[in-house]
Amino acid sequence: MLTAMQSTLDHTLLALADPTRRAILRRLSKGEARVTDLARPFAMSLNAVSKHIRTLERARLVRRQRLGREHLLSFNPQPLDEAAAWIEAQRAAWTARLSALDAMLQAEDRAAATTPHTRGRPR
Amino acid sequence: MTTEPRTTVRVTHRFSASPERVFDAWLDPARAGTWLFATPTGRMVRVEIDARVGGSYCFADRRDGEDVAHTGEYLEIDRPRRLVFTLSVEKYAQDVDRVMIDIVPLGSGCELTLTHDMRAQAEDFVGRVEEGWTGILEKLDETLG
Repeated sequence: MLTAMQSTLDHTLLALADPTRRAILRRLSKGEARVTDLARPFAMSLNAVSKHIRTLERARLVRRQRLGREHLLSFNPQPLDEAAAWIEAQRAAWTARLSALDAMLQAEDRAAATTPHTRGRPR
Repeated sequence: MTTEPRTTVRVTHRFSASPERVFDAWLDPARAGTWLFATPTGRMVRVEIDARVGGSYCFADRRDGEDVAHTGEYLEIDRPRRLVFTLSVEKYAQDVDRVMIDIVPLGSGCELTLTHDMRAQAEDFVGRVEEGWTGILEKLDETLG
């Protein structure tokens, strides 16, 4: 579970690291679009744009739906939510660890209190 | 690859134990193995701690038959006030995070503040649901250039 989330985060960051891909996502966050529509505002070949789209698909940030000869693309925010969940999981893990440390120290105190003066003290 | 830490998780905990006892619990292998990077369902199979600046550590927790290693290097050791180490969990990611522990005396006990700096740029796109994803992506664009 955690593995899947962290791997998602890596893919998410990689996908978001490029300005063209972020522009594609911004466009798609406003609504579905065809590949050819998406490519139009960019000063690059359809092939180059398609490559960016594939990176976004691998990160699951973009979904592709085939309608006959048309490919309709849409934005999927779920990986971003998962990234947020990952951060929250880190916080929860540290909170749990510090509680476990506290419990260990208190157990040491109790052990010291119930077996007093048994060590290092001659009778 | 950019590894400048940007996302921070901060956790504070108050202990009735002294700063020294709380501090030492991080660096004593026998005791640290019982709580640090241990999981309820896992089994801590190996703990190695070279408690000096530049020294490394490794905690291997067996989870579902697989060893998950938490490894890192100590960057600052200032007993009982401050401990800084790097942290990476190779099974999950190649990132190297940084963990800072600051301990201040409080009454007869102490207060510990833990700061975990991780993954570059992550906080620029999480936790801003109210702005809508379009706003988040625009902000991200400004940040990343």
